[in-house]
Amino acid sequence: MRQGVLIEHALRRSWRRQRQAVVLATLGLLLAVIVGALVYLSQAALDATTGRQLEILIAERNDLEQLNESLRAEIASLRSVPRLRRRAEELGFRLASPEDIDYVIVDQYNPRRTAEAPQIYSQQTTPAADYDETLAGWIQQQLDAFNRQPDAGEGE
Amino acid sequence: MRRNLPDDTLRQRLPFVIAGLLLVSLLLLLRLVSFQFQLDPAVTSYLESVRESGYQRTLRQAAVRGNIYDRDLQAMAVNSLEYRVGISPNLVSQPRETAIRLAGIMGLDELDTYNRITSEVPWVLLSAGASADQGRQVAELDLLGVTIEPRPRRFYPQGSMAAQVVGFVGGDLQGYYGVEGFYDGQLAGREQEQMLSNIPFDVPEDHDEDRGSDIVLTIDREIQYLIESELERSVTLTEAARGNILVMDPRSGEMLAMASWPTFDPNSWYDVRDDTLLQNSAINGLFEPGSLMQVLTLAVALERGAFRMDDTYLDRGYIEAGGVQVQNWDRKAHGVVDLTTVLVETLNVGAATISMQMGPATFYSGLREFGIGEPTGIDLQGELPGILFVPGDEDYNDSLLLTNSFGQGVAVTPLQILTAFSAIANDGLMMQPHVFRRLLDGDEVRASSPSTLGRPISSATARQVTEMMVTALREGMGGRADLPGYTVAGMAGTAQVPTTLGYEAGTSIVSFIGFLPADDPRVIVFIRLDHPNEYWGAAVAAPVFQRLAERLVILLNIPPDDVRRELIASGGAVEAIQH
Repeated sequence: MRQGVLIEHALRRSWRRQRQAVVLATLGLLLAVIVGALVYLSQAALDATTGRQLEILIAERNDLEQLNESLRAEIASLRSVPRLRRRAEELGFRLASPEDIDYVIVDQYNPRRTAEAPQIYSQQTTPAADYDETLAGWIQQQLDAFNRQPDAGEGE
Repeated sequence: MRRNLPDDTLRQRLPFVIAGLLLVSLLLLLRLVSFQFQLDPAVTSYLESVRESGYQRTLRQAAVRGNIYDRDLQAMAVNSLEYRVGISPNLVSQPRETAIRLAGIMGLDELDTYNRITSEVPWVLLSAGASADQGRQVAELDLLGVTIEPRPRRFYPQGSMAAQVVGFVGGDLQGYYGVEGFYDGQLAGREQEQMLSNIPFDVPEDHDEDRGSDIVLTIDREIQYLIESELERSVTLTEAARGNILVMDPRSGEMLAMASWPTFDPNSWYDVRDDTLLQNSAINGLFEPGSLMQVLTLAVALERGAFRMDDTYLDRGYIEAGGVQVQNWDRKAHGVVDLTTVLVETLNVGAATISMQMGPATFYSGLREFGIGEPTGIDLQGELPGILFVPGDEDYNDSLLLTNSFGQGVAVTPLQILTAFSAIANDGLMMQPHVFRRLLDGDEVRASSPSTLGRPISSATARQVTEMMVTALREGMGGRADLPGYTVAGMAGTAQVPTTLGYEAGTSIVSFIGFLPADDPRVIVFIRLDHPNEYWGAAVAAPVFQRLAERLVILLNIPPDDVRRELIASGGAVEAIQH
C-alpha cells in the first residue's frame, strides 16, 4: 500500500513537471502570439494611416491641379483680345496704320534662312552599360574583391 | 468507483468526438480548397464578383480633355471647374443667417434662398453652376447640410471668338461641331478606371493621367478678332442678315481666320435656340457664287486652250441656249470684247459664250478639278459638298451650261470657292485647307504638313488669271478695294437669292475674293454678306475687303510692293507670317 502511494506520488510529481512545462510553453506561445498580433496590428495601423495620408495627399494634389486649371482659364480670359485692346487704349496706345510703319531694307535679309549651328564632333564615348547584375554575380564579385585584398602585415 | 465512472466514459467517448470534429474540419477544408480549383468559369467569375463587390468598386472617370490653342498658343478652350451647391433644409439650424451668407457668395436672391432653405424637401439645389471661387468660399463656411459637388466644365476664354470653328463640349462631355467635334477622339483622352477599396490597409492607386492631347490651330486670334469685328460692323452697316469672312494662307492652305455671323457663345451653348447658329456656315452655308464663277470659267477656258488671252467675242447683250436667254447685268450689248473685259464688266454673256465654246465635258471637268461640287475635306465637322449638276445627272439640263458659267444654278460653300481661288493665287496649286497645326501629347509633338488637293491650272494660266483679276479690281470697282502701295487681285460677286418659285427680287448675296500681293500672294480673303441694303458686291463687299487688307498687311508684316521688290533685289526675302 505504502509502495503504491509512493509510486503515485512519483507519478504525480512527474505529471506536475510535465504540466508546468506544458503551461509554460503554452504561456510562451500565447505571449508570442500576443506580441506577434501587437506587431501586426501596429504595422497594419501604420499602413492604414499611411494609406489614408496618401489618399489625402492625392486628393489635395488633384484639388491643386484643378485649381491650376481654373487659374489658367482665368489668365486666358484676362488675356483675351478685347480686354488687352481696351487696356492698351487706356494706356494711350492706338492701332497703327500703314503710314505709321517705316520699312528698313537690310541687304540679303532672309528670315527663312536656317541658322547654321556649329557642328559638334562627337567624342569617343563609351555607351552606358546595361544593368545585368544578379544576386549570385554580386556575391561572387564581393568574394573576388575580398580575395584580392592583401593579408594583414603582408604589404611593404 | 463512482467518481471514476464519468472519467472512463469521457476517455472512451472523447476520441470519437475529436475524430468527428476533425472529420468535419477536414471536410470544410476540402470544400474550401475545392473552390480554389473550381473549373467552371461561370462559377469562378461569380465567386470573384462576390469577393470583389464586398470590398472593391470600380470608378470610371473621364480623362481631362486636351486644350485648344491658337497658332500663338493663346488658349481657345480650356478646362475649368464649376460647383453644384445644394442644401438639406432639415439640417440647417439658422436658416436666416445661412441664406444671407450663401446668397451673398453666390449672387442669389436672399429671399428666394431663404424660401428654399426653409422648404419641406429633403434636399434643394441652390446653384447648378457656381464658379470655382464661389465654390471655395462656400466650402470655407463649413456649414452643416450644405453639399458642394465639383463638376468639370469646358471654358472658352475668348468667348464667342471663333465659336463655330472651335465648336463646344456638351453635357455628355462629348465634342460637337468644329474642332471639338472633329478631333474629339484626340482631345477626349481615354476614360480611366480606378479601383476603390473599402479595406483601410489597401494603399490607394495613383494612376498616371491619361489626359487628352492639346491641339494647336492655324487660327491667328488677332486676325480672327479683326475679321469678326469687321464682319459685325459690316452686317450692322449694311443691315445684312448673315455673313462670312475667311482668311487663308494660299501657300499652305492654313486657315488664319474664319468668322460667321450670327454667332454664339460656346460657354452658354445651351441657351442657343436656333441650332443653325451652332454650325459653321463657312463650310455648310451654300450660296450661288454669282460673278465669282466667271473667274473659274475663264481659268478653265485658258487652261484647256478653248480661249487665249487676246481672244475676243462679239457681245450682243444676250445669248440663248437650252431654252433660256442670258443677258448682261446692264442688259446692254458690249460689242467686241476681250476676256479681261468680261471680268472687268462682269459680263454674263461673255462667260456663257466661253462655256458654250468649251462644251459641257471640258467645262464641268475643269470645275470639278477646282473642287466645285465636292467637300474640301477641311478638318472641321459638318462640311457640305455644294451642288453642281453635270451631264448625266437627273437634274441636269442644257441651260445650266450657260448659267453655271456666271454662278447661277450652282451652289458652293464659302470655303469651297475660297479654296478654288487659292489655286489661282498659289500658281495653280490648290492646297488642302486645314485648321490643325500641331498636336501636343505630353512630350510628343505632331505637326501637320501642307498637302495638295491638286493642280487645276498651270502656273502660266494662274498668272494670266491673276493679271485679269488685278485689272478687274483696279478698273471695275472704282477704287473700292484698292490698297495704296500694294498690287491686289480681286473679284466681286453678286448673286440673286434663289427661292422655290425662282429668284427673290430686289435682294442679293454679295461676295468678294481678293489676294495680295498679287505677284506673290501671302493672304487670300473671302467676304460674303446676305441680303445687304445695297445690291452689288462691288459696292458692298469690296470696301470691307479694303478695310481688312489695310489691317492685314500690318498684322502679317507684308511690306508694300516697292519695299518688297527692293528687298528681293538685294538678295533678301520677306516672310509674311513670322511664326
